[in-house]
Amino acid sequence: MTTPLLSVENLQTQFETAEGTVRAVDGISFDVHEGETVGLVGESGAGKSVAISSVLRLVESPGEIVGGEIRFRGETLLSFEEGPNGERRQSPESLSNKEFRQRIRGREIATIFQDPMESLNPVFTIGSQLQEFIEINRELPPKDARDVAIETLREVDIPKPEDRFDDYPHEFSGGMRQRVLIAMAIACQPSLILADEPTTALDVTVEGQILNLVSDLQEEYGTSFVWVTHDLAVVADICDRVNVMYLGQMAEQADVHDLFDNTKHPYTEALLQSVPRPDKTVESLTPIEGVMPEAINPPSGCRFHPRCPDARAVCREVNPEPRNVSDTDTRHNAACVKHDAFDVDYEHSTPIQSEGDEFGEDLQVTEGSR
Amino acid sequence: MSEADDAGPILRVENLKKHFSTGSGVFDTVELDLSGGFPLKRSIEHVKAVDGVSFEIERGETLGLVGESGCGKSTLGRTILRLLQPTEGAIYFQGRNIAELDKGQLRRTRKDQQMIFQDPQSSLNPRMKVGPIVEEPMKAHDLYDKAGREERARELLEAVGLDPQHYNRYPHQFSGGQRQRINLARALSVDPDFIVCDEPTSALDASIQAQVLNTMRELQEEFNLTYLFISHDLSVIRHISDRVAVMYLGQIVELAEKEELFEDPKHPYTRSLLSAIPVPDPSQAGSRTILQGDVPDPVNPPSGCRFRTRCPELIPPDAYDLDDGEWAAVREFMRAVRRRAFDPDDRAAVESQFFDGVSLDGEPGAVVEDAIDHVLAAEWETATDLLTEAFAEQSICAQEEPAYELESDRSGTRFAACHLHRE
Repeated sequence: MTTPLLSVENLQTQFETAEGTVRAVDGISFDVHEGETVGLVGESGAGKSVAISSVLRLVESPGEIVGGEIRFRGETLLSFEEGPNGERRQSPESLSNKEFRQRIRGREIATIFQDPMESLNPVFTIGSQLQEFIEINRELPPKDARDVAIETLREVDIPKPEDRFDDYPHEFSGGMRQRVLIAMAIACQPSLILADEPTTALDVTVEGQILNLVSDLQEEYGTSFVWVTHDLAVVADICDRVNVMYLGQMAEQADVHDLFDNTKHPYTEALLQSVPRPDKTVESLTPIEGVMPEAINPPSGCRFHPRCPDARAVCREVNPEPRNVSDTDTRHNAACVKHDAFDVDYEHSTPIQSEGDEFGEDLQVTEGSR
Repeated sequence: MSEADDAGPILRVENLKKHFSTGSGVFDTVELDLSGGFPLKRSIEHVKAVDGVSFEIERGETLGLVGESGCGKSTLGRTILRLLQPTEGAIYFQGRNIAELDKGQLRRTRKDQQMIFQDPQSSLNPRMKVGPIVEEPMKAHDLYDKAGREERARELLEAVGLDPQHYNRYPHQFSGGQRQRINLARALSVDPDFIVCDEPTSALDASIQAQVLNTMRELQEEFNLTYLFISHDLSVIRHISDRVAVMYLGQIVELAEKEELFEDPKHPYTRSLLSAIPVPDPSQAGSRTILQGDVPDPVNPPSGCRFRTRCPELIPPDAYDLDDGEWAAVREFMRAVRRRAFDPDDRAAVESQFFDGVSLDGEPGAVVEDAIDHVLAAEWETATDLLTEAFAEQSICAQEEPAYELESDRSGTRFAACHLHRE
């Protein structure tokens, strides 16, 4: 096995709030290899975006990365060690924030966010923002940076890039703005791009254009992607491998074909059953009962057990880490004790009665104010 | 309400138009014109959000209305309920043209028509408790006494899948899916016949969306409801609708029974939409053909068929005798010139890039040659105009507005606004 491009191990990010500690990301591990597109899937509140921000060191107070290790091309970006008083602290091998900013973010690991309007400054022209980014990160003189900027805009299919260079963000459509962000991400030819729901706000035809553009660019530059999304269809379309998150933890990790054709985790299965499909008429949808609990007070044991159709008594007690449950040579991790790999006597455990009524268990009111 | 009309469609819309003027202030409408005469000109531009739409909705059915953002589907939904004043056209609701009703009459029809909005948060008053929210429409229409309203509110909460005990809670204590259920209960409180649902599940997570969609179906049966279901999500539309209307730039381009529309689309725009959506099945990955370009400005929509500027199946002008390969090359070249998508070196390079293995002669050949001359002289605009005039504007798609009733395999007719179906 070659060294992965990015490897995240047991990452933990939490937010201190007045009501308690929110463990938004609670011990997740995943790898990204050269040239592949890795999906990070889950519903809102699963912790996908926090995971991405943690890798980029963009988590802001009251959020804090409190554990785990992140390596890029084998080099440690972040790790923790035990301090003299038994407390956890960042180990000296971790890159300083300044080094990370200068060497890694933007140059090696770039990012594309969901909302292009928020990522672009409304009072500067598209061109000047792109040019500035290229000047700083590629250390080019302004004139050359301008040429590179125009070339990059042409590459992401902006019509008449010389004219549009001096336009402001509000003069671009949503799809065009997203192209500008992609231009910004690829301008420094990074080896990894973390994309956080980049097509969610777009129309289907525009989304299709962007997905095609991304796969073309990937072919050309061999860039790796981490693609964060809630949309299983997008995952099926572009990802090589997929990580499914639920409430801050990994539920399932597999090759995209295995994930869809040989699903091993009840949550993934339930998600697939609950989405209507464009290619065939589904007479009745099988929704997942209930709502995802809040990360501030997660259920005991397996976090999915209150909504899980396969839940048994043992699921209340054991919170499983993902383990390889593959029948083939390709790794296929699932965090569900119903597989033999876990050996917790699931077979003889009593099934938990589902409490839902005919409309699903949506009756549980979410307490507290938000 | 006239009982005699119960047999006909619940809603019939005829040539409905809704235009918005773009200027909002006094000076927005005044333009400086130095071409001679009085230098100030009054010009009001109109965004043609809905521009000549006709369709019917049968009692008890769900008509899906799908289109991309900005196509006018929400405006259409609101105009049908006369939340927006129509610019032109008629809306027959249970046989009466509600476009002509006065305020009092209109208010009384509101009892039979309700609407559910996309954002379940902002459509609920945060200071009101759930029970009174559900009772509000009954109060407005003077239905039941106080005790009766409360009883009905509790019944409805239960019907939409909430706990009647939650009568005294505030909206913020509920999740997004539950809030949308409160909206459903409120809409149902006056026992309407027809509900316009404007993207009711778009803000919800996949698993919650399925719950709400299932509930909406059950309620439709229980309360004998007719839905106009507006969404940009083709999967949701396919799941919930009986018939589907596809909108593009203010007009309906295709309307057909659901299975027919999805399995055998007759309009190139519908085909493009369907091939653009990713499918949750990795074995079908990467088989997309994608529509190019952006939606044109609804202030000045293209003549003839509005989709022609992006249509992959634009019909070649009858005047020239172009085969498929030649026509494809001409269109590719036209598009590249409009977008200035290449750096021309010399004539040979341009010809080999766009017209490799294609020999154009006669008038088309001469036009293309001219255009290449202009491109080489960096006169992109002139070249674009020349090509547009000689080719794009000559197509039947640019000259006549299409509207064709087609034979349906299932029942009656279907509608497609595309000249490919001319006799």
